Amino acid sequence: MNPFLAQILHYRRHPFQLLALVIMILVATMLWSAVSQLTAQARTSMGQSEQALGTRYQVQRADGQPVTVEDFVTLRRDGACVMPWLEVDSSTRAGRIVGIDPLSVACLADDTVPGALQGSPLDGQPFMDIGEAASLARTEPEAAERLYLIGADSISPANLPQGYRLTDFSTGPETGELGESFLLNLDALAVLVLLITALLLRSVHQLGMAQRRASFALLFRYGVTHSSIRLGLFLETLTLALVCVLPGVALGLWLANGLAGGFGQAMASLFDTPVYAGQGNHWLSIALVMAGVVLGVCLLDELAPRLTSVSDNLKQRQVPIAAGVLVLGLGLVWAGKSLPVVFLAVGLVFLGAGFLAPGMVAGIARWWARSATDPLNLWQYAELDVLARRLAFPLVALQFALALVLAVQALVTVFESTFDDWLSQRLAADYYVEVPPSADATSAASWLASRPDLIEPGAWHRVVRGRAALALPEQGKSQGIDVFSVGPVSDMLHQWRFLDAIDAPWAAFSRGEGLMVNEQLAMREAVSVGDTLSLAWGDQTVTLSVLAIYADYGRPAGEVLLPMDRLPETFSATFESLSVSLAAARLHELERGLKTVWQVEDVVIRDNGRIKTLAHEVFDQTFLLTRLITFVTLLLAAVSLLIMGWVFFSTRAWYYQLLTVWGLGQREVTFRLARLAVGLTGGIVLLALPLGIWLTWVLVHRINPVAFGWSLPMAVYPGFWLELGVLSLLIGLSIAGLMRWQLRHAHSRPLSASDVTGGER
Amino acid sequence: MRLILLLSGFLLLAGCSDDTTNQGFAGLAETADASEYLQPRPGDTLVFPEDYGPHPQHRIEWWYLTANLKTGDGKPVGLQWTQFRQAIQPRSPEIPSPEPGSWTLDAAWMAHAAISLGGEHRFAEKLARGDVGHAGAEPEPLRVWLDNWQLRQQKPGVWHLSVHAREWGYDLTLTINGDPVAHGDRGFSAKSASGEGSMYFSLVDIALEGQITLGEQIVPVSGKGWFDREWSSQLLKTGQQGWDWFALHLDSGDKLMGFQLREEEGGFKSGTWLPADGEPVPLSPDALELKPEEFRHGHPVRWRLQVHGYGVDVSVKARPGNYLNMGQFPYWESPVDVDGSHSGVGYMELTGYARDGAKD
Repeated sequence: MNPFLAQILHYRRHPFQLLALVIMILVATMLWSAVSQLTAQARTSMGQSEQALGTRYQVQRADGQPVTVEDFVTLRRDGACVMPWLEVDSSTRAGRIVGIDPLSVACLADDTVPGALQGSPLDGQPFMDIGEAASLARTEPEAAERLYLIGADSISPANLPQGYRLTDFSTGPETGELGESFLLNLDALAVLVLLITALLLRSVHQLGMAQRRASFALLFRYGVTHSSIRLGLFLETLTLALVCVLPGVALGLWLANGLAGGFGQAMASLFDTPVYAGQGNHWLSIALVMAGVVLGVCLLDELAPRLTSVSDNLKQRQVPIAAGVLVLGLGLVWAGKSLPVVFLAVGLVFLGAGFLAPGMVAGIARWWARSATDPLNLWQYAELDVLARRLAFPLVALQFALALVLAVQALVTVFESTFDDWLSQRLAADYYVEVPPSADATSAASWLASRPDLIEPGAWHRVVRGRAALALPEQGKSQGIDVFSVGPVSDMLHQWRFLDAIDAPWAAFSRGEGLMVNEQLAMREAVSVGDTLSLAWGDQTVTLSVLAIYADYGRPAGEVLLPMDRLPETFSATFESLSVSLAAARLHELERGLKTVWQVEDVVIRDNGRIKTLAHEVFDQTFLLTRLITFVTLLLAAVSLLIMGWVFFSTRAWYYQLLTVWGLGQREVTFRLARLAVGLTGGIVLLALPLGIWLTWVLVHRINPVAFGWSLPMAVYPGFWLELGVLSLLIGLSIAGLMRWQLRHAHSRPLSASDVTGGER
Repeated sequence: MRLILLLSGFLLLAGCSDDTTNQGFAGLAETADASEYLQPRPGDTLVFPEDYGPHPQHRIEWWYLTANLKTGDGKPVGLQWTQFRQAIQPRSPEIPSPEPGSWTLDAAWMAHAAISLGGEHRFAEKLARGDVGHAGAEPEPLRVWLDNWQLRQQKPGVWHLSVHAREWGYDLTLTINGDPVAHGDRGFSAKSASGEGSMYFSLVDIALEGQITLGEQIVPVSGKGWFDREWSSQLLKTGQQGWDWFALHLDSGDKLMGFQLREEEGGFKSGTWLPADGEPVPLSPDALELKPEEFRHGHPVRWRLQVHGYGVDVSVKARPGNYLNMGQFPYWESPVDVDGSHSGVGYMELTGYARDGAKD
C-alpha cells in the first residue's frame, strides 16, 4: 500500500480527529478573516468619519460679507479651485441639506472631496445637486441657505485674488491623532488575534499528532522512512489547508459582513445615518496568511526538528526561562522608547505568560492535590493537573483571547469616554460664533456682559488663538507654541479634565494668577504644576506659574491657556470666536445684536449640538465595529475551547467511565466533571485578567505616548470581568454536559492500555 | 478621481443609457427628441458672427483648435484646445437665462487642452455647469471660456488663447487669415446618408505665436492652426461607433479636411478639399479613401489617404507616443506628418475605439 495512503487511512479509523482538525482550521480561519475584515472596515469607517468631519479650507470675502455665486465665478475665473457648498436648513427635509456641484469638484484632489460624496449618489442625505438644493431653499419660506466655497488643498492665500482670504472650513471637530491612535491599537490587536488563531491550530494539531504517534511508529517499523512520513504529513496539511482555508475565509467574511451589515441597518434606522464601512476585498491576503499559518504551526515540528529538540531541552527549564522572558518583556515595555521595542516587549510578555499559565494551573492543582484528603478530590486535582498540561495550547489561546477581549473592551470604552470628554471640552457651548475679520470681539464681549437678561454671566466666553515664543532657559533658546486664551471664565470651562492641577485652578486663572498647559507641552518640556513659564511676543514678556495640565487629545502641538487679560495689547490673534450657551429661541436676538454691534450683514453661528450629534453618529459606527471584533474573537475562542475540551475529554471517556465502575452515581460523575471543566476554564479567566488589564495599560499609557506624545486615561471595568467569568462558567458547564452525553455512549473498551490509568500519570 | 457622481453626471449629460453599443462615442448617436432640440438639416446656412456663439436650442456643440507648432530650435509641438457644450434642456432664444444663484443645470461645459512635445502628451480636462458664469461663450467679440481657460478676440482677426493646467499651460496669439470655410452643403455637413449631420465651418489658415509652459520651463512656439465650429442635435446615426477625422496642412499650400464615420459594415465618408488657390470643394464619399495601416495602443495611427481627382495619395502617420486624451470620454488626438504624393502636417482625431484595439 502507498505509505501516504496508509497515513491518511488513520483518519478512516478515527474520523472524529479529522473532523476536529477540519473544524479547528475552519474556526481559526473564520476568526482571522472575520477580525481582519472588521478591522479593515473599522479602519475605513474611521478614515471616512474623519474625512466627513475633518477640516478643509474655505475661501471667504475679506470684507466679511457672505460669499455669493459671483464670488465663485470670480475665483474660478482667476484659476482658484473652489467648490460651492450650499447649506440649506430645511424644515421639511428633516434638517440640513448640502448642495454641491459635481461638475466643479473635478479640480479638487480626492482627499479634499468629502468622503461621503465619493462614489455615492446625490440622494439628499445630506448631499444633493446644488441646483435642487437652491430650488428647495427658494420654495420653502422657512428654509435658510448659506453658500460656502470649499477650497482645494493646493490653494494658498498668496494665489487668491485680492479681497479674499482662506480660512478653515469644518463640519465638525478635527480628530487629528485620536483616530490614528485608535487605528494603531487596532493593528496591534489584529496581530494578537493572528497569534491566537495560530495557538488554536497548534493545539489541535499537537493533539492529533499525539494520537497518531503509534501509527507513525508502526509505519516506520514497516520500512517507511521518517522523510516519507514528513512528506506525507506536509501533503496532508497542505491539502487540509487548501480545502479548509478558503471556506473558512468565506465564513469569516460572511460573519463579519453579516454582523456589520446588521449593525449598519440598525444605525440607519435609528439615526438615519449612512454606513461608511466598506466591504473591503482582502480575501486573498487573508487566505494566504492563514494558509501560511496552518502550514507553519502544523509542520513546525517536522520542518524544524532541531528547533523542537531545542524546545524540548528548554522544557526542562521552562518555568525559569518563561519567567525570565516575562520579566524582560515587562522591563522593556516600561523602558522602551520606540514602538517596535514596545511591540516586541508585548510579544515577550505574552510568550512568557503563555508558557507559564498552564504550568501555573497545573502547579496549583498539584498543590491542592497534595493537601487533599478525600480520594475523589485528590483524583480531581490530579486530573486537573493533567488537563492543564495536555490542553496547554487551547488554554493559552483562550487566555490570550480573554486578555485581548478585556483590552479591546476597555480600549473602546476609554476611547468613547475620551471622545466624549474631547467633544465636551471643545464644544462645551451650545453655539459658537465666528468673529468676522473686520469686527472687534471686545465690543461684542462688552455687549454680552451688558445683557444678562439675554445671556447669563458664566454662559459665554471669548476665545482668542495665536502664537507665542516659550522661553526654554535650560536649553538657552525659545520655541514657538500655540496660545489659547479665554475670558471671562465661563461655567463651561469647568468641565475640562486636568491631569494635574492646583486647588481651584479656574479661580486662580480668572484672577490672572497663572496659566495652564496641555499634556503634550508638559511631557515634551517636563513642565509640572507650579513651574514658571515665560512667554514672549517681540520685546513683551509675560511670566506666569503653571496652574494645571489639561488633557488635549489628538493634537501634537504644545499649547498654553492664558487668561484674556494677560495677553499683551500687541497680541496678534489668528482666530477669534465666542462660545455661548442660550436657549435656541433667543438665538435670533443674539444674532441681531451681534450684527448691530459689529455692523455686518451676516454672522456665522454654528450649532455645536448638531456637530456633536454628527460626530457621535459617525464614530459610534467605528466603535461598534471594534466591539464586534471582540465579540467574534471571544465567540470563536470559546467555541474552540469547547471543541478542544470535548475532544480531549472524549479521549478519556473510558477512564472517566471507570468512576461509575468505582461506585459513583451518574449525577456525582457529572458534578465531578463539571467541577473539573469549570475549574479549568475559570482558572484561565483568572490568569487572563491581569494580562488583559496590563495590555490595556500598555495600549493607553505606553503605546499611545510613545507614538503620539499623549496618553489616554486608564480605566478598568469589573462588570465586564464578571461577564467573562460567566462565559467561562458556561463553557465549562457545556463541556461537562457534552461529556455526560459522551459517557452515556462511551467506548466499551479502552483505546489503549495506558488509558486505563489515565494515560499521563 | 473616483467620483461616480461626476461620471454619472456627464453620462447623464451625454444621454447615456444601458444600451451603449448603438449610441456611438459619448452617446452622440443617441436619438434626440426632435420636438425638443433643433436639428440641422440640408439647406440650413451659417450666420456670422452669431454662429461663433452658443446654440442653446441644439444639443451638442464645440469650439475646436488644433495647431502644429515648432519651438525656436525646430522641435514639433502639437497643441489642442476644445470647449464643448452639452445641453440637458434645449432653450429657445426668447427664454432668458436663469439667474446664476439658482445653479440650474440646463447645460454643461467641458474643456480639453493638450500639448504634445517630444513624444510626451499632456492632457487636462475641466467641467462646469452652464448659466453660472464660470463657463460660456459669446459670439461678438468672440469669447469662449471655462474658469481660467479662455479663447477671446483681442481685435478683429486677432485672438488670444490661454490655458493654465496644473503643471503646464500656454498663451498664444492667433492671427486669423481668410474667411470661414463652410463644409458640406453651405455649412450643413452630412454625417450619414439618412440625414444626420451638423453645422460645421472652419478657419483653416491661422498663424499662431506665443509660448507654452512646461513646469518651470517657458518655450516660445509658432506655427499654424485649424479652428472648427460644429453643432448639432443628432451628430451620429444609430449604429455609428465613432469617427476618424483628419485636418491636413499640405506643403503645397492645399489643405484637406476628411472624415469617416464607422459602422459595423462600411461607414460614411466626407471631406473638403481646400486648394491653395480657389474655392473649397466638398468631397463626395467616393472621392475619399481611408485605409488604416498600423495600430498603436489600439488605435490606427498610420493611414493611407487618397483623394481621387486631386492626385492625393499620402501616408498620414501619428508621431511616436500615446496621444489618448484620458478624460470622461477617451479619444485619440494627435499631430500627424504627411508624406507621399504630398508632404505636410496636420491633426488626426480617432474616437470610439476600445483601448485594446477592438472597436466599441
